[in-house]
Amino acid sequence: MNNLIEFFKRAFHIIVLAVLLILSVVMLGKSLSFNDYRLSRAVQSIVGPIQKSGAEMIHRFRLGPENEALVQQNIELLREHENMFIEKTDTTLTEMSKPDSINTKRVRLYDYTYAHVIFKTTDRAFNYMIVDKGANDGIARDMAVLSPNGVAGVVTDVSTNFATVRPILHPESRISAVVTPANQNGTVIWEGSDPRVAYLEAIPQHSIINIGDSVFTNGFSNIFPKGLLIGTVKEVQVGNNASFLTIKIKLATQYTDLYTVYLVENLFKHEIDSLKANFKDE
Amino acid sequence: MNNVIANILRFLILLIVQVTICQHICLFGYLTPALFLLALFLLPLELPLSLQYLIGFASGFVVDAFAHTLGVSSFACTLMMFLRPYIAHWLNGNNNNAFENIDRPVPGVKDFRWVFLYTLILTSIYEITAVMLETMTFKNFGHTLLVILGNIVFTVFVILCIEYIFHSHTKNEA
Repeated sequence: MNNLIEFFKRAFHIIVLAVLLILSVVMLGKSLSFNDYRLSRAVQSIVGPIQKSGAEMIHRFRLGPENEALVQQNIELLREHENMFIEKTDTTLTEMSKPDSINTKRVRLYDYTYAHVIFKTTDRAFNYMIVDKGANDGIARDMAVLSPNGVAGVVTDVSTNFATVRPILHPESRISAVVTPANQNGTVIWEGSDPRVAYLEAIPQHSIINIGDSVFTNGFSNIFPKGLLIGTVKEVQVGNNASFLTIKIKLATQYTDLYTVYLVENLFKHEIDSLKANFKDE
Repeated sequence: MNNVIANILRFLILLIVQVTICQHICLFGYLTPALFLLALFLLPLELPLSLQYLIGFASGFVVDAFAHTLGVSSFACTLMMFLRPYIAHWLNGNNNNAFENIDRPVPGVKDFRWVFLYTLILTSIYEITAVMLETMTFKNFGHTLLVILGNIVFTVFVILCIEYIFHSHTKNEA
């Protein structure tokens, strides 16, 4: 008997080793067999939640490439929006097609691309931003700049690889806008120092403007497509000038955390501009 | 006592790092460092053998649970823990007196050659067993061998880097 106890004492670690190795092999066998899910399910129910939070943590490191892919996808969708096109009577098809069919074709008027803001100011009297795309990427002067939330500004200067953007937050910035549902056209300007607030000018005093009304681009400028959000009405005052209202608007674009911007190009800008130039000459 | 807490903390940190980060590293598509082995390597050699096996099995089981490879790591770790005292003994030059002194398998106590061989041999035991158990086949053996070798190099490199980064710290403590 003593011998047996002595033997167990000496061989205890070997027994433990054997038990553990056999246990491992049994688990291995179970995880390989397709019929017995119980063990792996039990383990998964404990490990699953932890693994999920771990995966979320890892995911955070991969947000950059994922965001790029989403921006690409956004552009694909934005390009298909109806304010990107103008409808025209298709003269080439008119003769061939039946008289009652709709002889219009959609002509692309605007096209999108995107860029990232690499430098910006928001607290000065003359603010500006610099984006990481330039002439080499097809950026040109007077392209519209949009944030994910709404209108951001206009490209004013282009170098080979970078471009300067004049945001709404600039005294020279003027954007034709329409306030809905009153449907009155005016101009959005910025004066002062608050990067969240701009003013809507030239709205006649008789218009009924409520707080919270949306201000959109009206597409008159040939820079911005129609119907992009600029901001919402924050305050309405009867100004000193008796014929117009002074309307304070809360800008949709949050300039303080702006990184990805969309740039919109008017494909017929030169054509329209040349018409405008003729008009001026006369 | 201090040593016990340090060991437990090391296990917790390395296991968390292993299951949250290391297992998601797939260098060239199939190389994953087994960083948690470091915690096993640094276990005091004087611990009761059965306890060493249990610790090896438990940490292997945790890693398995997160990798959906039940049994693979636990088997490899238990086997490695079984062979560990013999490797350390052999590296000490069959000099039993070494067991009498403070015998800690850490840089600072041991020279680089010792630590390198110790890490290399034990990692090889673990990786060969784990990868072979996971693939369970001799088909495409060249590729399996490549994975084993790659994993060994990657793991040994990472473990030695970490060991020598914390080296001076450990020495001051000892």
